[in-house]
Amino acid sequence: MNTHTRRSFIFLATATIITPNIALAQDATSIIRAAYDNWRATSSHAVIEVLISRSSGNRTMTMESWTLGEEKALVRITGPARDAGNATLQVGNRTWVFNPRLSQVIQLPASAMSQSWMGSDFSYNDMNKTEQTVNDYTHTLLETRRSGGHSIYVIESVPKRGRPIVWGKLIITVRDDFVLLGQDFYDQRGQLVRSMTTDRVGVLGGRPYPTVLTMSSANSNEFTRMTTRSAEFNIEVPTYLFTRSNLQNPRN
Amino acid sequence: MLEALAWRNIWRQPIRSALSIISMALTSMLLVFLLSLQFGSYETMKSGSLRLFDGFGQFQPEGYADDPDISRRVENADAIIAALQDLPEITAITARATGFVILANGDRSFGAAVVGIDPTNEGGVSALASIIIEGRYLQANDDGTIVIGDGLARNLHLSVGDTVVMLGSGSDGSVAADVLTLVGLFHSGVNELDRQIAQMPLGRFQETFALNGDVNTIALSGAHLSDIVKINTELREIARENNVVYRNWEELQPALKQMITLDMGTSGMMYVTLVTVVVFIILNTLYMSVLERTREFGGLLAVGMRPGQIGKMVWMELIFLSLLGAGIGIFLGSAITLYLKSTGIAFPGMEEIFAQWGIPAKIYPIYTPFTVLAGPSAIVGSICLLGFIPYRHILGLEPVTAMAST
Repeated sequence: MNTHTRRSFIFLATATIITPNIALAQDATSIIRAAYDNWRATSSHAVIEVLISRSSGNRTMTMESWTLGEEKALVRITGPARDAGNATLQVGNRTWVFNPRLSQVIQLPASAMSQSWMGSDFSYNDMNKTEQTVNDYTHTLLETRRSGGHSIYVIESVPKRGRPIVWGKLIITVRDDFVLLGQDFYDQRGQLVRSMTTDRVGVLGGRPYPTVLTMSSANSNEFTRMTTRSAEFNIEVPTYLFTRSNLQNPRN
Repeated sequence: MLEALAWRNIWRQPIRSALSIISMALTSMLLVFLLSLQFGSYETMKSGSLRLFDGFGQFQPEGYADDPDISRRVENADAIIAALQDLPEITAITARATGFVILANGDRSFGAAVVGIDPTNEGGVSALASIIIEGRYLQANDDGTIVIGDGLARNLHLSVGDTVVMLGSGSDGSVAADVLTLVGLFHSGVNELDRQIAQMPLGRFQETFALNGDVNTIALSGAHLSDIVKINTELREIARENNVVYRNWEELQPALKQMITLDMGTSGMMYVTLVTVVVFIILNTLYMSVLERTREFGGLLAVGMRPGQIGKMVWMELIFLSLLGAGIGIFLGSAITLYLKSTGIAFPGMEEIFAQWGIPAKIYPIYTPFTVLAGPSAIVGSICLLGFIPYRHILGLEPVTAMAST
């Protein structure tokens, strides 16, 4: 290979490697955004069943959730009786919990946000960090594959420098109709810590939706499965729902 | 006969011998004192920081160390405690349950580890009861009470008599919530304890966290840490029989263990340097004196003494000198050590730093055969060994040439 051909070969190689990536990074971000928009919509009201599987036994809960925009979410436990009434309110990056036994609202310290939510495999952070996932990570499209008549995007999301994120990277899989199919959480050393997978995609409120989601930790058999029983999207949700007084004395 | 000659020879050069003896004596004294002080400070550090909270050893469920989840329980605590009570070395046993919770006061909330304890037994293992700076410690018939560190109280704007709201998750995953009355504040000087630890009565804890009478750990204590270290094997056996894990002090406080190992390494190098320098200085002096006495040795050879006997005699002189020096050193070192052992050594201005490790302001040297004998015997041992050099020199002497030398 003479110098000239080698040079153009290198040029071609770099061009094919680098240029599309810039475009794809943009793409990847919009895919993630679209997936989360589809998941949450501008507002939502859902009834969800939670199954928490532990080596010591299984536990089920039912809950009702409301979201408005990207900032506000309210979750109320409706059963079983011993957990009913517990509620979590998130507005922006602040989180309050209400416990009926204490009859008190407690604002959670930032340090508690990575703690388990209601003893499940989901943390408080998981409940309302959609904007963080979109904005605080650099997203790269790793591959696009075909499966079951759909294109599936596999996206690697690496935290931007200086963001307070515990994960080393996320691998997010999204279907071409922007249904979130899975999310793998890796620690800073690149070890898989836990994965969230979509077990079933149904149609809810007129849109394809991940109706059964399972969060499982990588090094145990324990998992938490959330099954969305019913959901409405882009409906009128009153803002008073997302206030501390409503958290304590529900009007919904 | 040879011994008497050797002894007499030492005092033929009284000043030189005295100087050699003094340098060995001073080095030995220093080594006795430094080793006693060093090991004394290790003991103080170990028992100080272990007595504060952890205890000298703990029984824990498998995997609890990596993931101290409340659902990992010691199931047959009673059997373990019964087995431990048969061991005379153990002076106190206490069962504990620990949950990670949010403590709140109005709008303020902080994460903390709340430990359910039995006030009757806890005092024998942990010193928290003795460092209450306000209010009181938990008592046997307490119910909805809690004691917390002063740092945590400051963060939460709480004072004794206030109510604290506690929110966590129970061992079955359900919400564990309680309202407790703050009865006391402790101050240990160890930030992690003062800012993150709370204690409440075990019974109430088990109820709130749906523990059904179970506990998470069993901590134990003894009169001395060394007593518990001695029965390590027995303790591991008890743990194995009951399907739990025994963690000794090194496993409970790996950072402390590492710090001590590191410190021993660096100070060990210092001691080796000290002993080497002293030994070679002494050896140099003695070898010189042997060379100087070549003429005398020639005379001895001429009157019929065998080279081996002369060599032995000189070797003996070396041994006597070093024994004398080390003996005086041990005596002086012991005197200083024993005196300071009774009074303790204060390090003014170091209280804050010591407190971080749970060490009291005064350090007491320990006086054990090892700390006393290690240094001096290193000196005596190396001189005895290296005495082979003058011995070999003497073996090669010829009467005529030796007598002709100046």
